[in-house]
This record gives sequence, structure tokens and C-alpha cells, in this order.
Amino acid sequence: MSADVNVVAASEPGCHIFNDFGCGFEAPGPSLFFPEPWVDFGLAGTYGLSKYILLLAVALLIAAGFWFFTTRKAKVVPSRGQSMAEMLVEFLRGQVTRNAIGKEGDRYLPLMVALFLFIFCMNIMGLIPGLQLPVTSHLAFPAVLAIFVFVLWNVIGIRRHGVGGHFKARLVPGGVPGWILPIVVPIEALSNFVIRPATHMIRLFATMFAGHLLLALFAAAGFYMFNPTSPMGPLFGAISVGYSGIALLGFLVFTLFELFIMAVQAYVFVLLSSIYIGEALEGAH
Amino acid sequence: MILAAEEYNVLSIHWDEFVFGSIAFLLILGVVYKMWPRLTKALDERADKIEGGIARAEKAEAEAAEIRQQYKEKLEEAHREYAQELEKAKEQKAAIIAEAREEAQVEARRIIDSAHAQIEADRQQAVVQLRAEIGALSTELASRIVGETLTDGAAQTRVVDRFLEELERSEGSTQAEVR
Repeated sequence: MSADVNVVAASEPGCHIFNDFGCGFEAPGPSLFFPEPWVDFGLAGTYGLSKYILLLAVALLIAAGFWFFTTRKAKVVPSRGQSMAEMLVEFLRGQVTRNAIGKEGDRYLPLMVALFLFIFCMNIMGLIPGLQLPVTSHLAFPAVLAIFVFVLWNVIGIRRHGVGGHFKARLVPGGVPGWILPIVVPIEALSNFVIRPATHMIRLFATMFAGHLLLALFAAAGFYMFNPTSPMGPLFGAISVGYSGIALLGFLVFTLFELFIMAVQAYVFVLLSSIYIGEALEGAH
Repeated sequence: MILAAEEYNVLSIHWDEFVFGSIAFLLILGVVYKMWPRLTKALDERADKIEGGIARAEKAEAEAAEIRQQYKEKLEEAHREYAQELEKAKEQKAAIIAEAREEAQVEARRIIDSAHAQIEADRQQAVVQLRAEIGALSTELASRIVGETLTDGAAQTRVVDRFLEELERSEGSTQAEVR
């Protein structure tokens, strides 16, 4: 299998810069995101139990555990953990639900907290040493959340405005002259019912995918360029160490940057979910 | 190669992962919703406490202000009473002093008067006594000199009076001379 080939190529001993047997750098590719499954179900369209499922379980434990232990003994005078949970809730209420939905959004605050916690914990799996694979870099996991929000968006809209009201509000923009509707309605349908949930999931997935790839590239390059015992002489050995140091610096900087991106993407996902729900509640413009 | 391309399709969604992801998400959602009332209860209680605390503080402040006002009034009243007492005391003092002075003056006059009367009485007594003694002495002397006894009381008195008048007159002239 090609995965095996790839693993062999990467682990070929002594493949560093300034070598004398013509071994080149192999950049990490999408194979990074396809770890060998430990248990294969042997069914079409399945992947099996891989590192992703393990990390999913870890993220679940972290997110649920954080919430459980910080709010278990919620008191009037908060402990440190409770203060953190409250800060998260107040941040999401002040910055997300109140802005996007309004006072009514307080009903959806627990959902937003759960979404944020879950996404953020899945994302930071990419930074925890030894695990280092963001769960959200497999499209299936953001898809769960995006499809959940999409279904909820429809349910809320239909409950509030009826089937006709909801779909009319979503398909026929207000203030558009009648003759242009045959063009606008298909565009709106495509935009609201296909592209939007797709971008909702792909935005998160793609950012995590790219970020992880970038970090893997820095790591692999740093490893490749580290060759102090180069057969071309000590000067090249020293240069290779310098290169490697630059790659390490880049790796560290981008790790910090990734941490920021992970939080921002979780925030963006929650913000968009709130905006969609607020829109469904509001009905026609 | 086709297998490899299939395997590395990053946009593929494996439904087993989708199911696991759904289960995980529902679990987290369940935990968050389950624990939610605890947090909101604590937050509401805190809000209540803070509001109650503010209300209590305002009430206490109002009470304090009222008590302060009362104290102020009492203090002013006390000052006023004190001033009144002081005024009264001053008046009384003045009255007492005036009365005492009057009494003292009366007493002094009385003492002076009685002293005058005493002196006058003493003088009169002395004059009478002196006159009698001088008369007796003069008579005695005259009878010794003249040799005759002036037994006649009336004549005796006449002689003595005349003598005394002369004596007084000469005494007055000598006193005038001396002056």
C-alpha cells in the first residue's frame, strides 16, 4: 500500500540535507491525515477506529470534564474553575448570542458553549505533544456540527414561521422585483441550503488541515535539514544546523499562531451558528 | 493508484467517523445542558445577593442619614439650651451682685449710723459726766480757796456754768490761734 511506501520513505535512515547519495526532501502530504486504522470495519465508506477516534474520545473527555468539574459545585462565590466557565459563558453571551440573536439567544447559549468547547478541544489535539493531530482536520467531524446547526436552523425557522414562511424567507429576498425572481431564487437556494452548510464545515476543516500541514512541514523540514555530520564537510554541517534552527523557530512561532487560530476558528464557527439561528428566528427581512 | 487517490481524498466524509462524532457531540451537549441549571442558579443567586446587598446598603445609608439628622437637631437644641442657661445665669449673677451690694450698703449705713449714734451718746455722757465732775472739783477747789462751802446747789451750778463757758471760750480762741 502506498501508505506503507510513504512511511518507509520518510523513515529512510540518513536522509538529510547535504548528503552524498542523492536523497531529496519529501514534504509531508495528505497522508498525514490518514493514519492507519487499528480496527477496520470492512464496510464501504468507513474508515475504522484510527487515531482520530482516540483523539475524539480525548477531546470529548476534556470538554465534558472541564464543564462537569467547573460547574459541578457552582456557588455564589465562584472557585477558579467556575470563574473560567463563567468567563466562557459570559464571553459567548456578550460577544456571540446577544449580538447575533439578541435576548432570545440566551436559550441557545448552552448549545453555543457546547459547540465552542467541543471544537476548541478537538482543535487543540493538534498541539498536545504525542497526539498532535487536530480532530477537526477530518471533514467528518466539522460536518457533524455543521449539519446539526443546519438542521436546527431549519427546525427553528419552520417552528417560528411555518414551513412556507421559513422557506419563503430563505428563498425570496425582500424588495426584489418579480421578474428577477427566477434567477434569484435558485441562487438563494444554492447559497442558503448547499453552499452555506458546506462552507460552514469546510472553513473549520480547511483551516485545521492547512495549519497542521504547515506545522508538519516545519517539523519535517527541520528534521531533514539537521545534518551536522554532513559528508560535504563541517562547514555544511554548521549551515545545516542553522537552517534547522530557523525551521525550529518557525515551528514554534506557527505553533503559537495555530493556538490562536484554533480558538478563533472555534469562535467563528459558533458565531456563524448564532447568526444562522438568529436569522431563522427573525424570518423574512 | 486509484486506491491511493481514493484514500487521500481529504473531502471524503466517512460515516463511521460521522457517527462517532455525533455521539461525542451529543454527549457534550448533554453534559452542558445537564450542568447548565447549576451555573445559572449560582449566577442568579449572585445577582440577587448583589442586588439585595445594594438595597440593604442604601437602606442603611438612609437610616444613618436620619440618625445623623436627629443627632444634629439634638446637638443644636442642647447648644440653644446651654446658651439660654448661660444667659439666665448671667442675669441671676447680676441680680445677686446688685442685691448683695445694696444689702452691703444698707448694712454699712446702718453700722455707720449706729456708730454715729453711739459716738454721740458717749459724747453726751462724757460731757454730762465731765461737767458734773468738773463742777464737783471746781466747787471743792473754790470752797477750799474761798473757804466757804457752796451748799446751795443752784448757786453752785451757776458758778460752774459760768466757769465752763469762759473756759470754752478761751479754749476756742486758743484753738483758733493754734490753727
